[in-house]
Amino acid sequence: MIAAVGHWVDRVLGRGEASTTVPPFDGQLKPNQLLETATVLAELDAPEDLATDGKAVFVANGRTVLRLGAGAPGEIARFDRPVTALCCLPDGGLAVALEGSEVRTLGGVREGRRWETAAGAPLTAVNALAPSADGQSVLATDGSRAQPYERWCHDLMGHGRSGRLIAFDLVGGGERLLADGLAYAFGAAAAGPAVWVSESWRHRLVAIGGPKAGRPVLEGLPAYPSRIAPAAGGGYWLTAFIARTQLVEFVLREPAYCRRMMREVDPRYWIAPRLSSGSTFLEPMQGAHIKTMGILKPWAPPRSYGLVIRLSPEGLPRYALHSRVDGTHHGVVAAVECRGELFVLAKGCRKLLRLSVAAIEQELLP
Amino acid sequence: MNEKLVSLRYRYWPDHLLGEILSKRWTETAIPVIVLIAVAIVFSRAIPGFLTPASLADTARQAGEIGFVVLGMSLVIIVGGIDLSVGSMFALTDFCALFCLDILNWPVAAVILVTLAVGGLLGLVNGILIGYFRLRAFITTLITLIVYRAGYDLLILDYSNQIAAAFPDLPSWNFMGGGDLFGVPSVALVYAAVAIFGHVFLTRLRPGWHITAIGGSRRSAYNSGIPVRRTIAQCYLASGVLTAVGALFFAARLGTVGGDIGVGLEVTVLTAAILGGISLGGGKGSVAKALVGTLIVLLITNGLTTLSAPGGVNRMVLAGILLLAAMIDIRWVKNRYRIISKVYVSPTYHAMPPVPSTAADSGTAFALNDRLREVSEIGLGRIEAPEDVILDREDNLYAGSRHGDIIRFFPPDYERMEVYAHIGGQPLGMAFDRRDNLYVCIGGMGLYRITPERKVEKATDETNRSLRSVNDDSRLRLADDLDIADDGRVFFSEATVRYEMHEWPVDGLEARGNGRIVCYDPNANTTRTVLRGLKFPNGVCVAGDGQSILFAETWGCTVKRYWFAGPKTGKVELVLDNLPGYPDNINLASDGNYWLALVGMRCPALDLAWRMPGFRRRMAKRLPIDEWLFPNINTGCVIKFNEQGQVLESLWDLGGVNHPMITSMREHRGHLYLGGIQNNRIGRYKLPGADPDFVQYDVRWGRRA
Repeated sequence: MIAAVGHWVDRVLGRGEASTTVPPFDGQLKPNQLLETATVLAELDAPEDLATDGKAVFVANGRTVLRLGAGAPGEIARFDRPVTALCCLPDGGLAVALEGSEVRTLGGVREGRRWETAAGAPLTAVNALAPSADGQSVLATDGSRAQPYERWCHDLMGHGRSGRLIAFDLVGGGERLLADGLAYAFGAAAAGPAVWVSESWRHRLVAIGGPKAGRPVLEGLPAYPSRIAPAAGGGYWLTAFIARTQLVEFVLREPAYCRRMMREVDPRYWIAPRLSSGSTFLEPMQGAHIKTMGILKPWAPPRSYGLVIRLSPEGLPRYALHSRVDGTHHGVVAAVECRGELFVLAKGCRKLLRLSVAAIEQELLP
Repeated sequence: MNEKLVSLRYRYWPDHLLGEILSKRWTETAIPVIVLIAVAIVFSRAIPGFLTPASLADTARQAGEIGFVVLGMSLVIIVGGIDLSVGSMFALTDFCALFCLDILNWPVAAVILVTLAVGGLLGLVNGILIGYFRLRAFITTLITLIVYRAGYDLLILDYSNQIAAAFPDLPSWNFMGGGDLFGVPSVALVYAAVAIFGHVFLTRLRPGWHITAIGGSRRSAYNSGIPVRRTIAQCYLASGVLTAVGALFFAARLGTVGGDIGVGLEVTVLTAAILGGISLGGGKGSVAKALVGTLIVLLITNGLTTLSAPGGVNRMVLAGILLLAAMIDIRWVKNRYRIISKVYVSPTYHAMPPVPSTAADSGTAFALNDRLREVSEIGLGRIEAPEDVILDREDNLYAGSRHGDIIRFFPPDYERMEVYAHIGGQPLGMAFDRRDNLYVCIGGMGLYRITPERKVEKATDETNRSLRSVNDDSRLRLADDLDIADDGRVFFSEATVRYEMHEWPVDGLEARGNGRIVCYDPNANTTRTVLRGLKFPNGVCVAGDGQSILFAETWGCTVKRYWFAGPKTGKVELVLDNLPGYPDNINLASDGNYWLALVGMRCPALDLAWRMPGFRRRMAKRLPIDEWLFPNINTGCVIKFNEQGQVLESLWDLGGVNHPMITSMREHRGHLYLGGIQNNRIGRYKLPGADPDFVQYDVRWGRRA
């Protein structure tokens, strides 16, 4: 009873759960334009994910997997369905997710394994794969059980809470459910005895297993985190595919409007974060988006944004790479480090970017 | 069904009035008045005969006596201080009056003068200590309270028996104590006179304004040259004199010098002042508030006494009320503007049919194209915010700038520019009249005129006040665009009467018909509102028949036609409905049709929000304005339409590289000149196939000989 009254007061006054406050990009997340000015390595048709074995970078592009070695990108595999996730396995070979509903291994000693269900439920939106710490299994995040992979925005606006973390056994071929009921799981990485998972809709990185099981590693992010990849010098690269705005937070707390918007308005024009924006006037516009004297302010609320965060081995941000509101390298879904260079996939503009890690650290670290 | 209810609720329930009423300054007096009425009703129910004439006369007599003291206290509070010594001064001056009358046997006139002088003297002590020596008002008057009371106690020790034994029988003295004129007690009459003077003094006279200014901000008052110390001292002196007046009437009525006279009076008086709404922080208060507060306190104390409540209870109730009133006062003064700003914005229901398609392959007149890509730029980086552009018969180009100037560019290349006239406010719509006067709508200022000799004249800045509006809507807030009829009358739009120019997004959030069309007649020099309740009326253009104007409603996404002469006088008809964007200025095209600028385009998310007023109201409260859902004004276009309501063509620039925003356009000699209020340039577009000799004002007013 008291809790109900408390919730009601919160709703009336816009406090607590009803608060639409979004943390600022500040401290280690202080904005820069490094991502915007990064070298464009390739423009692709439908890029989805990146992986590396330390020698080359692999790109999931539509129904194909490309290998970026020394020369031109070469196709190494082609499937009948779009590839939604990709990872390199420690003892050779690749694991891929097809249309979010099937995980397969490819090449190497574990060739030909397949999984289509986990814990009795079919896979729906497998969006990230990573090898486990012991190399015996592959970790997969299934974003949502309600919405397929490409309808992630429906899951966000529908307050999705059905993400899963699954470990597929490479040796025995079985599978194990590690976590359930996540507010969109998008990206996982082994961190010692634990697994860190991006819980996007709760804007945090959470530890599964290990001594701090169930506790957030990193929380209160101003963006929605996505895939995580280990960094060469210890620590991780965490990407954030969309950023938070107060207006979206507000709409999420307005069930009547949110419902009608999802029913009556084309999803492209929703008040919701997008991987890219600014291409049509049918998109909603916010106050700070008015171009004054021909200039769009880079600090305007981001409908789309580009962000990669470098995490320390403890999971604390060290620095971040940005492409701000006035830029285009938005919707960053994956970043991997290979031979001293950082490869970043900006899905919003369908570009593969490359930055030198040494140059970044020289500029950003004191 | 549900939506139907929402639309009815917002059509018939005037949400916007609450904020308008609260922002009126009289609400601060209205609330104590309501309390007063409530108190009167409660006690008249509980006590038979509470509001009979006899009882009222008695109340009025006491109210008068205390009322003078409250007036003095109010003055001191308004100047930023407090006077706790009023009770002791009351006792001392009461003693003084009776001493002079009963023991010295002076005439009444002398008694009055001396008592007032003594009161003034006592007050002056406070005034000098607080005003000139800058001691804290609270401590100083607390000390004088004790000192005066001690003096009074010493004096009555010696004289109380003598005074009690005397029974002066002077008609004038008795009239002061118990007389009346047509049933109104003498004290009430004097009080009324003093109160009326006090009201005029505080609101209309220079010293009264000084007092309020000092209370509002002592330092600013000092900086603006007000004699702060002297004024403060005078306020305490006045408090002493007014207390003496109250004491005189009290002495005349009761003629006693009991030990408890004036004890606790300061609490009663303070309660009355605060209850009336005189802010303890200073700088705010009025005589009416002092009067209302006095009446509330008296009704309560008298009511409780009649109900035979013990004196302690009486005092405790007063103290409780004082505490409550002081608390409300502090919270109210601190949060008033926040509360008003939260309730003032009141979105309403606004439904439009689905947006017509603008897709390049839609086959409609609105289909996207890139025809404006060839726009060349005039004055890039040298002009800011040219909302409207206009050309005269000599091909000179004029545009407003946000610095409050009218800029003139010279032909043929429009590279050279000069400040044609400085007005001071943001120039919006412009039009030339028959004698080449340039009429300009200035946001926040009104309608101005620049003569061919470059002299700036105010045409009008107010119209008739409408009877049903709570806000005073006589002053023009956002004159937007205009055109001039054949007889010289100027018809101009005022986009909103509820907000200032820079607050246009808030008006868009409300989407209520807050705007109007106003007519200025230069021949009679009169200004009248001709149409009300329009949703951000913007562009205005006299139609081909010379008897009507076409006007655009920006949030309504419509163009309408209003007849000001001829058989259809007063009628309004719809010309264009459900536009895909927000219409702005309208101007003549060389082929007899009309150009219309769409300043921005509709988006489905906002169209939906316009049908959900509660959503928008909460958004306005929760989010900063930079985060609000806005009408998209980053992309726009120019369309051509005719009087039959057909859209003939549209001109777009998708990238918005050369000309990001369009609020106006003007055709001249085969070119279209484009203005935009957020731009730093003027656009120039060569119209294929347009009449290369078209000059708007040659067509409009005839070629000059």
